[in-house]
Amino acid sequence: MLRYILKRLAFLPLVVFGVTALLFLCLQFLSPEMRASLYIKDPRQLSQIESVIEKYGLRKPMPVQYALWLKEVAHGELGYSETAKMPVSEAIRAFFPATFELTLISFIPIMITGIYFGVLSAVHRDKFIDHFTRFVAITGYSLPSFVLGLLLLMVFYGKLHWLPPGRYTLETDMLVHAEGFRHWTGILTFDCLLNGEWAAYVDVVKHMLLPAATLLYISVALLLRITRSSMLEELSKDYVRTARAKGLPENVVIYKHALANALIPVVTLASLLFIGLLGGVVITETVFDFPGIGRWGVQAAQQLDVPGVLGATMLAAFLFVTANLASDILYAVVDPRIRVGD
Amino acid sequence: MLRILMSAVLAVGALPAAARSASKNPGIFTYLTIADADSVDPAWAYDTASGLVILNVYEPLFQYDGTSTEKLLPLIAEKVPSRDNGLISPDGRTYTIPLRKGIKFHDGSPMTAEDVRWSLLRFLLVDRAAGPSSLLLEPLVGYPSTRGDDGEILAHVWNDVNRAVTLRGDDIVLRLPRPYAPLLSILAAWAPVLPKAWAGKNGDWDGGEASWHKFNDPSKETSPFFDKANGTGPFKLERWDRKTKEFLLTRNDRYWRAPAKLQTVVIKSVSEFGTRKLMLQAGDADTIYADRPLISQLQDIPGITVLDDQPTVEMNPVVFFTYRINQVANAFVGSGRLDGAGIPLDFFSDKDVRKGFAHAFDFKGFLADVMRGKGTQATGAIPKSLPGHDPNGRTYRFDLKKAEEHFRKAWGGQAWEKGFKFTIAFNSGNLPRQTVCQILKRNVEALNPKFKIDVRAVEWPTFLDAYKASKLPVFVMGWHADYPDPHNFAFPLLHSKGDYPATQKFKDPEFDRLIDAANAETDPSKRKQIYAQLQALEFEEAPHLVIVDAVRYRTQRDWVKGWFNNPIFPDSPYGSYFYTLSKD
Amino acid sequence: MTVAVLAPAIARPEANARDPYIIPQTGYSPDPVRPSKEHPFGTTEQQYDLFYGMVWGTRTAFKVALMVVASAVTVGILLGGAAGFYGGWVDEVLMRFTDVILAFPDLVLAVVIVAVTGPSLEHVMYSVMAVSWPSYARLMRGDVLSVKERDFVAAARALGASDARILLRHIVPNAIYPVLVVASLSMGRIVITAAALSFLGLGSPVGYADWGQLISLSRNWILGSSGNPFAYWHTVAIPGAAIFLFVLGWNLLGDAVRDILDPRQK
Repeated sequence: MLRYILKRLAFLPLVVFGVTALLFLCLQFLSPEMRASLYIKDPRQLSQIESVIEKYGLRKPMPVQYALWLKEVAHGELGYSETAKMPVSEAIRAFFPATFELTLISFIPIMITGIYFGVLSAVHRDKFIDHFTRFVAITGYSLPSFVLGLLLLMVFYGKLHWLPPGRYTLETDMLVHAEGFRHWTGILTFDCLLNGEWAAYVDVVKHMLLPAATLLYISVALLLRITRSSMLEELSKDYVRTARAKGLPENVVIYKHALANALIPVVTLASLLFIGLLGGVVITETVFDFPGIGRWGVQAAQQLDVPGVLGATMLAAFLFVTANLASDILYAVVDPRIRVGD
Repeated sequence: MLRILMSAVLAVGALPAAARSASKNPGIFTYLTIADADSVDPAWAYDTASGLVILNVYEPLFQYDGTSTEKLLPLIAEKVPSRDNGLISPDGRTYTIPLRKGIKFHDGSPMTAEDVRWSLLRFLLVDRAAGPSSLLLEPLVGYPSTRGDDGEILAHVWNDVNRAVTLRGDDIVLRLPRPYAPLLSILAAWAPVLPKAWAGKNGDWDGGEASWHKFNDPSKETSPFFDKANGTGPFKLERWDRKTKEFLLTRNDRYWRAPAKLQTVVIKSVSEFGTRKLMLQAGDADTIYADRPLISQLQDIPGITVLDDQPTVEMNPVVFFTYRINQVANAFVGSGRLDGAGIPLDFFSDKDVRKGFAHAFDFKGFLADVMRGKGTQATGAIPKSLPGHDPNGRTYRFDLKKAEEHFRKAWGGQAWEKGFKFTIAFNSGNLPRQTVCQILKRNVEALNPKFKIDVRAVEWPTFLDAYKASKLPVFVMGWHADYPDPHNFAFPLLHSKGDYPATQKFKDPEFDRLIDAANAETDPSKRKQIYAQLQALEFEEAPHLVIVDAVRYRTQRDWVKGWFNNPIFPDSPYGSYFYTLSKD
Repeated sequence: MTVAVLAPAIARPEANARDPYIIPQTGYSPDPVRPSKEHPFGTTEQQYDLFYGMVWGTRTAFKVALMVVASAVTVGILLGGAAGFYGGWVDEVLMRFTDVILAFPDLVLAVVIVAVTGPSLEHVMYSVMAVSWPSYARLMRGDVLSVKERDFVAAARALGASDARILLRHIVPNAIYPVLVVASLSMGRIVITAAALSFLGLGSPVGYADWGQLISLSRNWILGSSGNPFAYWHTVAIPGAAIFLFVLGWNLLGDAVRDILDPRQK
């Protein structure tokens, strides 16, 4: 098992290389002028395009730039992200914890709700509860996140004044930047607790509830549906029939036998969903003014901030490999028939 | 669920808004914008978001007097030089500027005349690519860059700048190669005073000749001034949090004038309009950025004031015609010939074509729909808010008959007979510019079924690429002032060396002569006359089509007091000079 | 479906329009206008006729969703099936490749592709296709892995059936349901992805009849005006409802297909 894990981790550089090479392949088609647009934002600067191209070495062909970039990476430098206005490594440290926190706080409820209602739906197939949960899930699924986000913001912030947008209030802002506040983990909720700042903790969590709820509502449908369909399939299988015939209680049949098997595709999906959430928070982050990695990554891509895009994609690649590994291991746990390690 | 949500909205919507007379968060002023600042280094920053912070943290020699863009007040300087007080020499080439005493930087160190001299030199010598240094290099040394075409530093720069900027006792003396009328106006907006000693201590240029090359065209993040500030202004930069895109300014209690009334100013970038609006409504923001189309959503909200008709110093949008289009791989010109399926590369060098377009534009419709009835039709490249603008000049009128007349004459009748097809470009996401293109398309196509125009939204990178190569037959852009002087519009929009004409390949010696003459003329009334001539010539030649003298509006909470608008302040009228503001 | 086919009859393009997918505008005022006789669904900001947009947008939705999902699913099933079935180096190579694609945050890749090639509906389609096939491949592989071990496959193999036969006849039909279920859901999701790209200013050109763009045109009007949260309800509700029905329809279809393909669940 350990060997398997190591082997999978060894793929990480390969994936990172693949991802960045692919990216450079896409960027190959850009002209130096197009890339200068990152630095020229105002018509007042138009006449100086040439000097900008010169300064940032934008005329070098992409393969050369890629080689230069790889060399920098080998030295542990990831370059400077113009969109984040800070070095890429710093940007990752700044943006990732926030998004990770947000993803975590929404992922667990998504899993629980998705699987719970999926099973419920399958067990009560074609009953009211089945139709109702599916209907609700689909409404969330068919709403773009900015619509839902703005509606939630309007009610819970605009009218009720409960849950404000942003990362924290000005007081918490002052507090976390004060000298005495130690950043143990970089993850703000944990840090607040570790520093014993209960009020700040509540404040930070309050700021995450709405984006998390938005993410939950828009992404639960897929999981629910997979669970339901997978569960239905299992329930119709012979071993379930046998188990029922043996007189096992229905709960045991459902939760011990059928669910275990039905979870196999769910596990694959869960790891993808987690990654999807990390990347898919762009719009949620924009609406709720939440300083996360998604917004940075997409902004970098839009403005052709090459070091920025590379940094964000590398991070995504890393997370992906890790999440994949986790799902493979989980596979082995839920389905002993699948061999891991050869 | 959606229905439940909607009825919840309805239910709470019916509640009476909590009446609050006193302000939320007294002493703390929050401004929500959409822009990302670039750097707070005054020698680097050339964007409005950075400019707004610099305006409140640093101080230049002069300041515009209240809402005026012409009258100056001394700030770091003790007096504003003029011919009358003898501080400008009769030949208009030497300026003597006495300096105020007893000013301290935020770190407590006293400001000296040497700080002022060094700050001016630093502004000139940093000269980053596409930065603001050329604004002062041009008047003070007579050329726009410290580097030649090959990118190498010019050998004579050091001597030139040191000859131009000198100290005489506690006065700064500026010596110009030739008279330059807008100089004081530029000095009121650029090159504020920075602490020399602090800079040297923190690894920036120490003022020595030996080291200045190292600080020429640097990477911005290497300077201590990039994200820290130590100025003399009414506010200190407490923190620039690039993660949350937020500036935190605190009051400078040792300010040389009375300290500001506000204790804290937060400038934060929130890109979603809905979020900004809700924060303004909740009182968590005191003013927000919002553009013209959204005004209907901000009117009639209890507790919020809309202040409309704020003048601007910009000319936007402008339709530019390219006289000689670049033919290399150009998808914008169709066949490249006058055969109904394209245009020849010099199509727009025919005056009748340009005038045909000018008469086909529905100015009134644009003002009514896009500007919501605000603003007036522009009469020339120089906007209404500046001297040199001639309000009585002739303008084009929407007249399809006249447009047809011109098109029939163009290219000896060939254009009308054969028809044409090409693409108008604008940078995507800009609604007013898009609408300008659509109006032109609709009206011109209605004249003759053989006229075909495609409107294309082009992403900024692609736009730059095509723009620089003069590939765009017609494009829509705009210009925003660096400093409030007519030269800052006449030159980039009409001089053959200006930014736009260089790309349009528009060159007319008569235009160049008038612009150069006006720039050297220090007598305001004579200058105005020359600019009036220029405007008449501009109408006749129509190298571009100016559309509107725009006005903007500001939304703020009722409790904000003391605001005034000077259109030259960066990010005006949304951002402002926070010194005069208070909340009750 | 009917609407998509009959679009030209229901909403006639303007006489001089060159591309029927471009929604006609009746002015340039930024405020959306409520439904009226002239505009049965009202107009969006910039006065695009919502009814016309919805009708022609139906075509766009079908066109885009079908093409993207069909090609992504085909590629996914083939590669995922092969990987799961053969295992070994085939599996290794294919899965590493899907890893590379999946490791891209999809919006970032889509944005890069669109930024390089220029925004248009086609480019959006390519980019969505490029990032969506690997998830089908992985899903398929997972199912094949578990189906492969079942008795009936072993039986077929014992009977000497060829690889292709086993794969196509026994494994794919038994492993395909989760893929189809996800595919049926993704159909609707494509429209939302288009909306996300339009939100970022990258989708189809402004004015193109595309539900995703129409709903993102409502962005600034969702909150309504002062004192009346429903002032511009139609700009959200109408495209929103259309997308909902579209998603729901594919869902039901997915269920139906599943029931037909899988007789055991009767």
